[in-house]
This record gives sequence, structure tokens and C-alpha cells, in this order.
Amino acid sequence: MVAATAGIDWRAIAQDFAQIVGDRHVVQRREELLVYECDGLTSYRQRPALVVLPRTTEEVAQIIKVCDRHHIPFVARGSGTGLSGGALPLQDSVLIVTARMNQILDLDLENQRVVVQPGVINNWVTQAVSGGGFFYAPDPSSQIICSIGGNVAENSGGVHCLKYGVTTNHVLGLKIVLPTGNIIDTGSKIPDMPGYDLTGLFVGSEGTLGIATEITLRIVKAPEAIHVLLADFTTVEASGQTVSDVISAGVLPAGMEIMDNFSINAVENVVTTACYPRDAAAILLIELDGLETEVAANSQRVEAICRQNGARSIRTAIDLQERLTLWKGRKAAFAAVGQISPDYYVQDGVIPRTQLPYVLREIEALSQQHGYRVANVFHAGDGNLHPLILYDNAVPGELEKVEDLGGDILKLCVAVGGSISGEHGIGADKRCYMPAMFSETDMDTMQLVRQVFDPQRIANPDKLFPTPRTCGEAARARAQQHFSDVERY
Amino acid sequence: MSAIATTLQSMLDSTAVHPWADLPSALQASIAQAIMPDASPDCVVYPSTVEHLAEVMTRAHGEGWRVLPCGYGSKLSWGGLAQDVQVVLSTQRLNRVLDHAVGDMTVTAEAGMPLAVLQQTLARQGQWLPLNPFYGDRTSLGGMVATGDAGSLRQRYGTVRDLLIGLSLVRADGQVAKAGGRVVKNVAGYDLMKLLTGSWGTLGLLTQLTFRTYPLPETSRTVVVTGSAEAIALLGQALLASSLTPTDAEWVVAPGLDWSATPAQISLVCRFQSIAVSVETQADQLSQMAAALSLPCQIYRDDAEATLWRAIAQQWDNEAPALTCKFGVLPVRAAQVLDKMQAMVSIDVAAINAGSGVGHLQVPITDDAAQCITHLRQLCNAQGGFLTLLRAPAALKQQVDVWGYTGNAIALMHGIKHQFDPQNLLSPGRFLHGV
Repeated sequence: MVAATAGIDWRAIAQDFAQIVGDRHVVQRREELLVYECDGLTSYRQRPALVVLPRTTEEVAQIIKVCDRHHIPFVARGSGTGLSGGALPLQDSVLIVTARMNQILDLDLENQRVVVQPGVINNWVTQAVSGGGFFYAPDPSSQIICSIGGNVAENSGGVHCLKYGVTTNHVLGLKIVLPTGNIIDTGSKIPDMPGYDLTGLFVGSEGTLGIATEITLRIVKAPEAIHVLLADFTTVEASGQTVSDVISAGVLPAGMEIMDNFSINAVENVVTTACYPRDAAAILLIELDGLETEVAANSQRVEAICRQNGARSIRTAIDLQERLTLWKGRKAAFAAVGQISPDYYVQDGVIPRTQLPYVLREIEALSQQHGYRVANVFHAGDGNLHPLILYDNAVPGELEKVEDLGGDILKLCVAVGGSISGEHGIGADKRCYMPAMFSETDMDTMQLVRQVFDPQRIANPDKLFPTPRTCGEAARARAQQHFSDVERY
Repeated sequence: MSAIATTLQSMLDSTAVHPWADLPSALQASIAQAIMPDASPDCVVYPSTVEHLAEVMTRAHGEGWRVLPCGYGSKLSWGGLAQDVQVVLSTQRLNRVLDHAVGDMTVTAEAGMPLAVLQQTLARQGQWLPLNPFYGDRTSLGGMVATGDAGSLRQRYGTVRDLLIGLSLVRADGQVAKAGGRVVKNVAGYDLMKLLTGSWGTLGLLTQLTFRTYPLPETSRTVVVTGSAEAIALLGQALLASSLTPTDAEWVVAPGLDWSATPAQISLVCRFQSIAVSVETQADQLSQMAAALSLPCQIYRDDAEATLWRAIAQQWDNEAPALTCKFGVLPVRAAQVLDKMQAMVSIDVAAINAGSGVGHLQVPITDDAAQCITHLRQLCNAQGGFLTLLRAPAALKQQVDVWGYTGNAIALMHGIKHQFDPQNLLSPGRFLHGV
């Protein structure tokens, strides 16, 4: 349970914080706090009591010690791009924003390691090392704005994680301020340090185990060659089968993305790429990278597999401009849907790849049943779906209905052996669906970990795991029951 | 027969419980390597279902019996010595493949499944689990995960922690819990796969494991280049700075192998696995880089290549008493460290992975072994690394710090252990600082 926060003297707390970070970096005026009342999941809003922007590990530790002393819940926030409400403030909570912790501390190209503060933007890492021929592999769509600290909290993925792995595969060490205010170091530039893998445990813990204030990343050699293939199909099944066939053939592309007909048209309406045929049931984008000879050979094999599966046309891009053109529509997909509908609700379920055709049919059926249109965009290689449900938030009651549809899609993913989240995190959004995947004992076991890190339950409480108070009976879990005290839009 | 063995026999079938006195002496000796001297457990138990295993653990929890989990025991000689163990709990009979989702490229198997058997099963579908840990012919999946032992393929595929996507375990209180799932991308809940990997049986008994699999590579070549530490270090740097994508890349010292017999020389052993045109190109490019440094280079293929890798594995795997250490240093210092180690001790075999700086070292046992360990550890620590003792005589393990942990999170690790196993029943004393 969240520690009781009634009767807190916020003015005194703000003064404590001001002493730590300076007046300018404590936000307490109502209108300024508005900026922080939601993250990328904008349908939930809650104004925090205070926002504080530290610059160093020591400042973070001192802030958390104040929270610990007064039993005040705190929520960490990077750039606020998260899509599961992980950085949604709680009532009477402190929001600790890492935006000022934006220094790259160590560029160690020789050992292929970079040490950063949590507020460093994902894309800055690649920019900093690209001159040496390296890149930072995890590349969430928001990479030009999302922070590494947020990526660590959510274990973010991206388009290229099929081949290169997600954030956890690239984080070697952390400096962590625990919810008690104590500081620990886990891992280092060298993997396999003796002891429990606290680094691996922390990545993806969604701000519930503390705040990472230094992050040691592994960088990767940039590939010699990149090819992007665009194929279009008259059935979604054929595009899904192509994905399976490519992987079965022993080719591991850097990424494979599918968009359905609805998404294709949304994109063509808005950004007119003129590359995605409007009458195609699906388009498949495949990026191959590696050695020149290898990519050239694999490119031909993939093309043949596309043709075997009935691809109508195949376009291959080798030079950068041409590749960007093919990717442009996919990258604009969410924005395009945002333009044809007042609002959309995005889900993040994962399914075993072979279930793709079945699951897409079922999503279509659910879409009809609930009466909302669903655009499908997904990381097909790893079975990570992003159904975008279109709705109008101005109509009272719509969000609840849309969340019901989203919930049914997540249950469908679990029913075929998948997961409720591939890369966005559980956060505030999906915690009531955790019982669909995990038993009481499973979640109790995870709570053993939380108990050690955060005995007072002040680090992002009420996120990630369901509680009876916020989710009601697990069997009747409904998304809208969480955060009943939160304003909704 | 002891009361514990009798109790357990009444719960399971009689073939599942082997009293200590009835064990073959080789097995007794093997178990003895994992526990404090002058004490022996009551019995070894081989449950054949997860339910039985959970019942045994529930009983142990109620009675306060201390338990040493193991698979085939191939690494019982590694790590710290467990204290006052009463029951050795083997997962050997939990050895089924539960689900090989061929099209999804995942496999779920019980923890007692031998890695080698799993690889055969996967190979029939053109797949594999790209891990090559020590004693790969007789290690169980559970043992590999519990020790976090990966092998040289980490250069391309990462380690156990990168490939393990789901697990089930029996907790110290006998409850069965799971984490992760059967899909390659999944962020729901805490990543207990990472916590359990390399936890040395101190947090729970692994029962089911799900891994991501990969297609078997079409073809393979191994390039071996031998020379002075300086020249080989330069070659290694050139390799890492190139766009080549080796699956294995290691600095190796192995006087027992003829290509490595010249004293004070180090070899770079590099394997490429991919489609034919790619491995040919890459092997050629590496040999050109070697030629530029005037280093002799040999390319192994087909049977010769298989023989080479078997020979390397055998260097590590012998009955003779030896000290085996795992260590890590900054990757860029690896060849230099290996050179310094050569000057300090007589090396049976040593290897450091090029990308990670994680290595292993095997040396004969000498009278000044304790001092040797201290010096070797100082060398690694000075390069930002660590040194852990895997295999060593019990007397030596009692004399020196086995793990060499230098960090500041020991209280938190104790906290985790205490939450998962408040009575300290699982592998007591085997992990670092009594965790």
C-alpha cells in the first residue's frame, strides 16, 4: 500500500528540495505543474504535488532521502514519452525529472562502452559514437526525444531489436539511487561480475526499484551495408507467412515490419510516400544489415521468399535516401493515424510469430464487435503488435469502451501464448491485466524483490502490479478501474 | 538409513531417494567438492515431476533441511562450499522438452534436460541454442543457467541471460512460480530470468526454462592467428574495429595445443558462422589483417575445425587437480593481461572473450596457490575487473575469498536472499559473502 501522505507540509518539503537543487529547479506553481501531469499515455492525468529537477546522483539521493523520511511517494520521469503511464504522477507525489542529468560521462570507444546520465537522449548516444563507426542499437520510435533513463526503466525495444536485442541486452552497469536514498553500483563495463545480476533485474522495473543515475551502455559496430526491401501482399496472411519463412531460412534481418491496409491508407493520406500501394492488404518492410556480400546474398534470398509467398511487387533500397523513403511511411504511421482520428489508443501485445494470421483475424472480429476501427502496425519479426484503436475522446464513455477492446486484444495475445507488453511497459495502463499472465504466486515472488529495494513502497507505487484497491477482483479486471482518483481525458 | 531419507522415501518412490552410504564413491566425491569438508549429506533425491520436487522442498522448508540443488553435478567443484547440507536435490529426472515452437524459434524444456540432448532435438529442425558452456557434453540446462556459464559464442549471441526468456522455479517454501514467457520480446513483470541466471541455486530450484533459439548456421570457418601479445592485441583491436561479425573471438593461451605451443605467445581464435560467401570473405579479411602484421594464420574448416574446437574444450576438461578461475578485464587490456598472467603462473589453458573481456584461466595447483590467486586478482582488479575461483581444493577455498566481489551492493544481495529464502536453506554459504 502507498504510505499515507495526509498532512504533508509541502511548503517545507519544497524548501528542503530547494536547498538541494536550488529554487529554480523545484516546480510548485499549479500552471507550471500542468506540463508534468501526464506522459505519452495522455488519457490519464494527475498533477504532482511538486516537481524537482536534480542534476547529480548526490542530489537525487538527497531528494529521495527527504521522500523516504516523510513517506512521500516519488515518480521518476525522463522525457515523458512513455506509453504506459509509467511516469504518470500520483496524487501527493513528487515527480523527479532527470532532464537536467544530460551528460555523456565517458565515451570509451576502445572498449565499446559509453557511460551516460539518465536524461541523455537515446539518439545522442549514436550521434556521439557514429564518428567512430559505432551505434547504440535499441531504437524506440521516439529515439530523438526519449531518454536513456526512461529506456532503462521500460526496457525499451525498437525496430532493430529482432537482431540486436532490447535495452537490457545493452546495459552493462548502473549507478542506482535506491528508494531509501542509498546509492549502489551494479555491473560495470565488464559483464558477469560476481553476485546477483542486479543490473538485469533493474532494467524494465519501471521506476519501482529506484532511479538509475549513471548507465553503462554497450555500443555496436555499424554494419557495412544495409538493404531495405518493401514487398506488398494481397493478404495479411501472406505477409505473416513471409516473415516466418525468412526466419526459418536462417536469415536474421535487423527488422521486419508489417502495416495493414488501413494503416497504409492512413499513411498515404497524410504523408503520401507513394511507395505503399493503397490496394495492398499489407506491406512488409525488411531491413537486412551486415557485411556487403552477406547482405547482397540474403537480399536475393528474401526477395525469392517474398515472391514465393505471392508478393505483388518488391522494391529494394540500398542507398540512404532511398532507404529513408521506404521507411518514411512506417515511421509516420502513428502520427498519420493521429491525423485521421481525433484520438487513438495503442496497445503493445506480443504473440508467437506463427499465430500472426489467426490473431489478426481475431483482432478484426473484435474490432467489428466493439465497433471501433483498428489500424495494425507491428514489429512482425518478434511478434510485437501495435494495434491502434481509433476513437474520439470528446465523446463521453468512449475511452472506457476502447480500453475494453484493448483489454480483449491483450487477453487474446495471452491466450495464444504471448505477453501483454513487448516494449511499452505495464505502468498504469496494463497492470490490471497482469493476472491474465501471472498467478498470485508469480506476482508475490516478484514482490519479494520490490520489498528489498523499496520496503516503504514509495517508488512509483500503484504501477506495474495490480492491487485490490485499484483493479478490483482480478477476474473482472477492467482497465478503467485503476487510478480512480485520477482525472481522465 | 537416516530419518530424512526414510521420510523422503515415504513421499516419493524408493528409486528417487539414494541414501549417502549407498551412493557410488565417484558421486560421493563429486558432491564432496561442493560442501564443507568433514560433513556429508543424508541423501540425494531425484524427483521425476515438478510436483514431487515441490513436495520435497515444502517438506525441507517445514523441517529446516538444507538443500543443495544440482543437475548432473558437472560444476559441483565450482564456487563456494555449502554448509551443513542435508539433502542434495537433483533435477536429472526432469529432463523433457516441453515445447519446441519451431516456427517461433523458442524452446521450453525442463531444467534437468542435458544441453547436448536439447541441441540434438533442436538440430533435427535446423536450430540450436547458441551457447557452448564448459562440460557441454554433460551439463544440464538448469546447471548452465544457475552458474550463468555461456561460452565463447557470446561474441555474437550474448550469454545465458540474453537467451533465457522465461522460467519456472520452486521457491524455498515449496511454492511454484514463473516469470517471463514464451515470446522473445516481453517486458511484463520483473525480469527474474536475469536474477536467477548466475544465482548458484541460492534463490530457488529451476524447473522449466524457455530459450530463444537460432537457425543453425549454414557453414563455419575458424581462423587461428598466433604471435606476441603486442601483435595479437593489435590484431584483436583491428578485428573489433572492422565490420567483421565473428561468432567467437577469443585470446587463447593453450600450451597443450600444438599451434599454441611456443612460449610467451598468444593466439586469437576466431570463428565465423553464416552463409558460405560470408564466412569465406570474413576468414580472408582476417587473414589479410594478420598478414599485414606479419602474423601466421591458419584457417580450419569441416572436420579439422570440429577437431580444433573439441581439442580446445578438452584443455579445460580433465580430471587432474587444477585451479580454474573466471575473471574479467577491460576488453582492450585483455591480451596484455593474458601476457602478464603467463609471466606470473604456469598456464594450462586460458581464454578471454574479445568483446566482453570475460575470461577463464586454468593453472596447476602449487604450494603458493593462495598467493597466486591474490596476485592474479590484483591484476584483474587493476583493470577494472574481477577474479572468481571456480574449481580449487576445498582447503584453498576455505583460505581465500572465492568470489572476489568488490562492489557496494552486498547488503541488497543479502536482502534478496533473505526474502527468497529466509531460513537460508538453499545452497547455504555457496554464493558470495555467505549469500
